[in-house]
Amino acid sequence: MKSKPKVAFFDFACCEGCQLQVANMGELLLEVLEIVDIVEFREIMSEKWDGQFDIAFVEGSITDEHATERVKKIRERSKILVALGSCATIGGVNGMKNSFPLEEVRRYVYGEFHKFFPTVETKAVHQVVKVDYFIHGCPIYQPEFLTVLKCILQGIPYYVPEYPVCVECKLNENVCMYDRGLSCMGPVTKAGCNSWCINNGNICYGCRGLTVNPNTEGFKEVLRKHNIPEDFLIKKIEMYNKCKELDK
Amino acid sequence: MEKVVIKESPYNVKKAKIIDIKLLTEKEKLFQLVFEDSSWLHFEPGQFIMISLMGIGEIPISVCSSPLNKEYFEICVRAVGKVTNSLHRLNIGDIIGVRGPYGNGFPIKILEGYDLLIIAGGLGLAPLRSLILYAIDNRRDFGQIHILFGCKTPQELLFREEIEEWSKRVDIHFACTVDRADPDWKGNIGLITSLIPGVDIEPARTYAAVVGPPVMYRFVIKELLAKGLPVDQILLSFERHMKCGMGKCGRCQIQNLYCCKDGPVFTFKEIMDMAEAL
Amino acid sequence: MENVPFVLTKLPSKSIMFYCIFSHMKTEQYKIIEKYLIKEFVNRLFPISKVVAPVYKGFGNYVFEEIKSEENVTFKYIPTILPPKKYLLPKKETILEFKKNQELIIQPVVEYENLILFGVHTCDIAGFKCLNKVMSDTPKDVSFLLRKEHIVIIGIECNDYCDQYASCAFVGAHLPTTGYDLMFTELNDIFIVHVHSSKGTNIVEKTGLFKPATDAHIKELRELREKKAKIFYNEIPTERRYIPDLFDRSWNASVWKELEEKCLSCGNCTAVCPTCYCFDIAEEVDLTLKSGKRFRIWFSCQLDPFAKVAGGIDFRKERSARQRHRFYRKFRYHVDRFGMIFCTGCGRCSRTCMAGINLKEVLISLIKESEAKIWRKWL
Repeated sequence: MKSKPKVAFFDFACCEGCQLQVANMGELLLEVLEIVDIVEFREIMSEKWDGQFDIAFVEGSITDEHATERVKKIRERSKILVALGSCATIGGVNGMKNSFPLEEVRRYVYGEFHKFFPTVETKAVHQVVKVDYFIHGCPIYQPEFLTVLKCILQGIPYYVPEYPVCVECKLNENVCMYDRGLSCMGPVTKAGCNSWCINNGNICYGCRGLTVNPNTEGFKEVLRKHNIPEDFLIKKIEMYNKCKELDK
Repeated sequence: MEKVVIKESPYNVKKAKIIDIKLLTEKEKLFQLVFEDSSWLHFEPGQFIMISLMGIGEIPISVCSSPLNKEYFEICVRAVGKVTNSLHRLNIGDIIGVRGPYGNGFPIKILEGYDLLIIAGGLGLAPLRSLILYAIDNRRDFGQIHILFGCKTPQELLFREEIEEWSKRVDIHFACTVDRADPDWKGNIGLITSLIPGVDIEPARTYAAVVGPPVMYRFVIKELLAKGLPVDQILLSFERHMKCGMGKCGRCQIQNLYCCKDGPVFTFKEIMDMAEAL
Repeated sequence: MENVPFVLTKLPSKSIMFYCIFSHMKTEQYKIIEKYLIKEFVNRLFPISKVVAPVYKGFGNYVFEEIKSEENVTFKYIPTILPPKKYLLPKKETILEFKKNQELIIQPVVEYENLILFGVHTCDIAGFKCLNKVMSDTPKDVSFLLRKEHIVIIGIECNDYCDQYASCAFVGAHLPTTGYDLMFTELNDIFIVHVHSSKGTNIVEKTGLFKPATDAHIKELRELREKKAKIFYNEIPTERRYIPDLFDRSWNASVWKELEEKCLSCGNCTAVCPTCYCFDIAEEVDLTLKSGKRFRIWFSCQLDPFAKVAGGIDFRKERSARQRHRFYRKFRYHVDRFGMIFCTGCGRCSRTCMAGINLKEVLISLIKESEAKIWRKWL
């Protein structure tokens, strides 16, 4: 019998909520434990592992030199590295830092001691090391986590859908948020979450990042029609997508 | 919700066993397959089958062996995506799923008595190999046979041994070119279109069969028309990402034609006025 | 080529359609039910099988969903978010199951259930007919056909327009023709019911609330239909039979360019269309990786990956090309292939489009541009 793949979870700048999604899977977590061996996962166990990882899940974005070094070391020790959650896949809300001068941010956060806390621009994990799989979302959607895990074990790639959340939302037959008089990022946000938020009465915040080929001009026109100011959209997009600028 | 097993479902697959694997190039492998129930795949050259890896996916691939080969059938697979890469990891003895064949292949009965001008670009040689092998097996049914083959580099030459054999035959005119050569390459250098003007054909008596990457068709057709080939004697095989193979899923639709049902082989005449085809 | 017995490029004119509808009104095919009994009728369906009916979802939206009590049913509604095609071609349906232990076992499966679809509008019934045509084409789609066998369709005729988006009179889907088991038409304080199949007769007998219709009822029905002919007008300023020609002239129309800027490629228009049936095939394995299933899932020609092939070449890369494809598929391609226009006039695509792409407006724009071209030629 082949030994089970060794899996570890790490966090960087994040709220650790995506790991919580994994920890909170209930009985499914027990099924997952039948097929993988979790060797390091700060949120659920105190053990550490000093060998190689078959799969490393990395949550959070990279925001200082220390983190850069640490994620590089994790990469060296892992056969497969997975970016877990929006902070890791697209920079997420941490990316908003990049809208301001670094010095100003440091002063604002650390006050008079800011000199002791060096900082760098926020980066998504793939902007520092090679990432093999992406699990978007803030937080991640549990079924997608399982799908990706199965793809990893099968040795096949996972393709994040190239179409917007509306596709899944319409299949779930939700009443469109625009019909309710609310604004929603669904039309320009990557699908894959099965329109989780909208199914539960919330709007889409665009946490999975912009879709591959979004018609932003057309979307602005839609917002105009609903009397929503244009900078609202820009702000909404920047809330999760600011780090995208570093991809170019 | 009731659930019934329906063997007649058009999505049913037959189990096929891999009996041999040949590495053709760095990226292409040739798989020899037989059905587990030892039935025989009836197909025409140019038709395609759906290859299934259970739990991974299903893709359309054209059969590249001779339809007269009753021992096994072959597919040539380039590792580019999820299913093809997984196929490349399989071993002799492994089981895969097959359904088909689908579509209209090359109209062999119509081609009989004509000269053949076969033009293959890269992996396009795979479906054409089936036609070539058929024509060789029935050599007396055809007039002259010209085979033009082009690929990017000498490393990407497919079916090297067979190519060697074809080029030695006196009853076949074979020419080959590469886009970029290396120092060891002694043959032609240039695009496949550069070979066409040099071929000696009698247009009225010739059928051209062209398969290659989408960018190739426009240029090759231009050369063929310059040669005076009638539009209904230029046969093209189109690549689309068919999902069902039965004219339902809509993925391979070119205007009112379904590549999977009406094609993948079309005459140039059928599609010459059709946007989105080439 | 496929065995198409004949290719229809001109569609039958309206007067022929009317003749077909009115000439065969046989009193014995009709029953009546008092209006106050209609709730009781719905209640008596529950013991027969699962019942699906339109239900209000809020903010002017309706959906078809299972009802357990007559209280939830709405008898007057605008077309639902998704058409009832979701019961014939489920959004996601298993087509194959497999297990890998010592031996690989593969089983093709079909999922179906006994269902009464209550309150279906004539536009959605027209949609069923389109789907039926495609799925009955060889090779036949066994899952669709088996499901259809187990579904009873009870229609409700619209005596007036649902809203400004509908264009059902243009495609002739505002009148019941065929494709249902029972058709309810409201006449003052009764419903007159056309019993159109043995499945329909079965429902009539099992519920036991119907009375035979009289010639007076039929006369009333005729009068209603005549009144309807005045209420419903041809929403598009052309005739149905000129549509194929119109599209033959419209490949390079300027409206497609406008759609390029507007369209968000969200796929809403195709998801809600009663005649769209394109799908993707995908796999799902369980955590052991030893067993799993293959399923079909709705897909849309409006989405980026739809027409892509290996190497990343996309044959309809521009949004304008994708929208044009959608319109041609509704009004041109399938006329050649199946002899039918694949639009039921339900208006869902226009209703759902955030960008405000309106089917009627697009058609009118095509007509105007095409007329201008023809005039230029003549002058």
